[in-house]
Amino acid sequence: MALVLNVNGVRHEVDVDPQTPLLWVIRDSLGLTGTKFSCGIAQCGACTLHVDGQPVRSCSFPVSLAVGKTIKTIEGVSSDGNHPIQRAWKELDAPQCGYCQSGMIMSALALLQRNPNPTDADIDAGVTNACRCSSYHRVRKAIHLAADLMKADA
Amino acid sequence: MSGQPVNRRDVIAGAGAFVLGFYLPPRASQAQTAAAHGAAWYTEPAVPEINAWIVVEPDDSVVIRIAQTELGQGVWTSNAMMVAEELQCDWSKVKPIYASANRDAREKAPAWTLDVPGKGATDPNGGGEPTFGNRDRTGGFGIPDSLYRRMRTNAASSVKDGRYYLQLAGAEARERLMLAAAKEWGVPVDEVTAKDSVLSHSKSGRSTTYGKIAHLAARTPHPNPEAIALKPPEMWTLMGTEQKNLDIPMKVTGETKYAIDVRLPGMKWAAVKTCPVYGGDVKSFDAAAVRGKPGVRSVHPFPIPDSKLTRGRVFSGGVAVVADTWYQAKTALEAMPIEWTVPPERAVFNTANMRAALLAALDAPGRVRVNTGDVDGVLERAARADRVVEATYSTPYLPRARMEPGNATVLVTDDRVDIWIGDQSPQETRFSAAQITGIPEENVYLHLCHLGGGYGRNGNGPQAEQALMIANANRGTPIHLLWTREEDFIGTTYRAMGMARLKAALDADGWPLALEVRTSMQQDGFGPDASFDVASRYYVPNYRFSNHTTNFHVPVGTRRGVGQAAHEFYRESFIDELAHAAGKDPYRYRRELISRTALPFKADMIKALDMAAEMSGWGSPLPRGTVRAIALEERGVETGNSATISAMVHTVSVSRDGRVKLERVDVAHESGFGLVNPLSVKKQIEGQITWFYNDAMHQACNIENGAIAENNFNTFSMARIDEDPLTINIQFFPTAHWLVGMGHDRGTSVQAALANAVFEITGKRFRDLPLRQHDLTWG
Repeated sequence: MALVLNVNGVRHEVDVDPQTPLLWVIRDSLGLTGTKFSCGIAQCGACTLHVDGQPVRSCSFPVSLAVGKTIKTIEGVSSDGNHPIQRAWKELDAPQCGYCQSGMIMSALALLQRNPNPTDADIDAGVTNACRCSSYHRVRKAIHLAADLMKADA
Repeated sequence: MSGQPVNRRDVIAGAGAFVLGFYLPPRASQAQTAAAHGAAWYTEPAVPEINAWIVVEPDDSVVIRIAQTELGQGVWTSNAMMVAEELQCDWSKVKPIYASANRDAREKAPAWTLDVPGKGATDPNGGGEPTFGNRDRTGGFGIPDSLYRRMRTNAASSVKDGRYYLQLAGAEARERLMLAAAKEWGVPVDEVTAKDSVLSHSKSGRSTTYGKIAHLAARTPHPNPEAIALKPPEMWTLMGTEQKNLDIPMKVTGETKYAIDVRLPGMKWAAVKTCPVYGGDVKSFDAAAVRGKPGVRSVHPFPIPDSKLTRGRVFSGGVAVVADTWYQAKTALEAMPIEWTVPPERAVFNTANMRAALLAALDAPGRVRVNTGDVDGVLERAARADRVVEATYSTPYLPRARMEPGNATVLVTDDRVDIWIGDQSPQETRFSAAQITGIPEENVYLHLCHLGGGYGRNGNGPQAEQALMIANANRGTPIHLLWTREEDFIGTTYRAMGMARLKAALDADGWPLALEVRTSMQQDGFGPDASFDVASRYYVPNYRFSNHTTNFHVPVGTRRGVGQAAHEFYRESFIDELAHAAGKDPYRYRRELISRTALPFKADMIKALDMAAEMSGWGSPLPRGTVRAIALEERGVETGNSATISAMVHTVSVSRDGRVKLERVDVAHESGFGLVNPLSVKKQIEGQITWFYNDAMHQACNIENGAIAENNFNTFSMARIDEDPLTINIQFFPTAHWLVGMGHDRGTSVQAALANAVFEITGKRFRDLPLRQHDLTWG
């Protein structure tokens, strides 16, 4: 059965089992590999993307629940890699291995969209993704910088 | 169950036709890889290279080939900086790509680059003192003479070991560019200058760019390469400056192609299950249960990988399902009944009986590594005066738990093997490929990808070997094998569980007169055998250090920090306990014990302690429930050659309900003769603080019935951003030697610091990690 998905503003029809986690449809049916697989049980957040603006751990989110909604992945954050959050990440050289960073950026972006001035405590509560390299120190600084850049751009 | 005996030659066709007809001609895969956006792997240059490390393109782009693997430590940038410093090219034009492990099988490095120039670690003008300096054809315990020398990424040695030949490569190319320009202009070469990719002759006012002259330089041999000298640190203009990492822009857009992102035409996916008890194998499985399931192509049992191909570790045999998508393969495999043959002598292991065995080993005779003075006599006399302090510590099995689960894509054809993988040992994987397929190493091509975390070379595990076995049974079809998270915990190697008993005799003033250190670990546990001497740095006139080993079955390897990290927890904790028994300040206690030694770098160690204490405001008042703890971190100071020295002060709070918070860390770190990229050093220090915080607070893998119990992130816990210290201050100070490296053993001090802080605040001393298993409440 074909399902219709709206991903990064583009309409796609996919023929998959409706129970398939959204992650695998995004990565394998649509070829958008920026969203990562790591734990498969919604613990680490490497697979975080947005469904109707909300951060979702797509490894444990059936594709059928995303039908009719707006999906945004790391590839949809900007066309040129220069969204304020991406500029902030580059300015602070935040990633190390980088594998968790797509999910980290999507979680942080969701936080900034609902809270343009997050405190450290807001970041602690709002960004619960795991990073094994422990890039957290620079990620925290980058979130604060991104908040400033987003306001400057607005 | 309706199982069937395993026939290793069976390839059981699943639903539909098993398509074997897809065939990539040898060159096609390369063209395909070149076109893949975001891929970092080797491509043949469009213009002649200047040497094996450098291609300058007509548009002045400088392609620098990288022979180590980028896994977050910044090698993609620092290796390029070492070449570019000498090449004197425009840094903004540099494009790293991976070196070819295939060419490395077919070509030798120039003879004049083989020997380390200079007079060792204290010679600023030389190549330092590489860890793997001895020649070894295989690269296993030294450095091969092959084109890209040592392609391993391990032991924090990429900068230390590769610097001399990377600087030489850059210098040789620069001098040949200058020679080619001089010849073109008919002027003496010593009147030509090279800077920022521009060649100039000031007398005639002529200038050109590297890109315009590179084709001539490629045909201009160096007349006297043996005379090329390394640029000494005082002349560096790029090395030693903070450079943003070149891999970052593609890591914030999702464009970076990790091995898991490799997609090839006709590629099929493999999901695997191996026996969770190491060394177990498949007894039977029911392939009929998955026949007809969506996308399923075939089922393959595969044997226990030859331990000679997996660095002596014994992993398990297993079963793979190959399907059109990985989700289909994994879902089918989950539905397939499998019975295991579990070696009974391995299934009896559990954490409790292994711990008991380690404790018993501490009491049994061990291998004495250091024995000075009369330890037993001094301890006996001190016991009569009640001046003996004794403590037993333990650390659990710990995995790497990198975020990218193990995976590899392999295409085997009749005369060629292609492997797409993130790999810390590509030369060894090349060897495995040749052994498994019978195709010579000269025909094995590795397309190296950035790794989604590494944390220790041996953690690569057998994903390449498993993928090779499955692809070899499916020649002509690219097979992408991917582990589940749970399978990744089976396929990795662990830092061995360990114990230590430390016993000291103190004099009337509380200074140690004798110290006995016994450590126990499994035999191949990379602790005892790597001789991490627990107490070499602190002065004690009578000292004995012995290793006591047992035999367990868990595959152990060089996880980040190796056995040394556990040993630093034992040593620094015990020094805190001695300072407490002596009623002395732990900073001044350490400082005095270092100053009493004759260690070659003791002034640098004292400097680190003083500086970290000063930075932290040591001794100034803190709120109740908050304390400071200090520790020294060093490697190599007993050798008098290379060393890396730092000291850290950790400010730690424990709330009455037992919540531990690492509030602030002050780091004094030596920079030796020079750091290549101080920005990457800072990032590595920041990351390792939380790495070892995790070891101390959270992480443990227990063994139940021979298998790893915690095998996903719900049971194996990891700090999130809320536990990361808000303040990390890092200052560097210069010293007069080259560093050993700092990618794996900085931040170890946080372990003892947390345990000591918990003791000071709660009054409870916990010696078994991780701390979260204990009741940390107080008041």
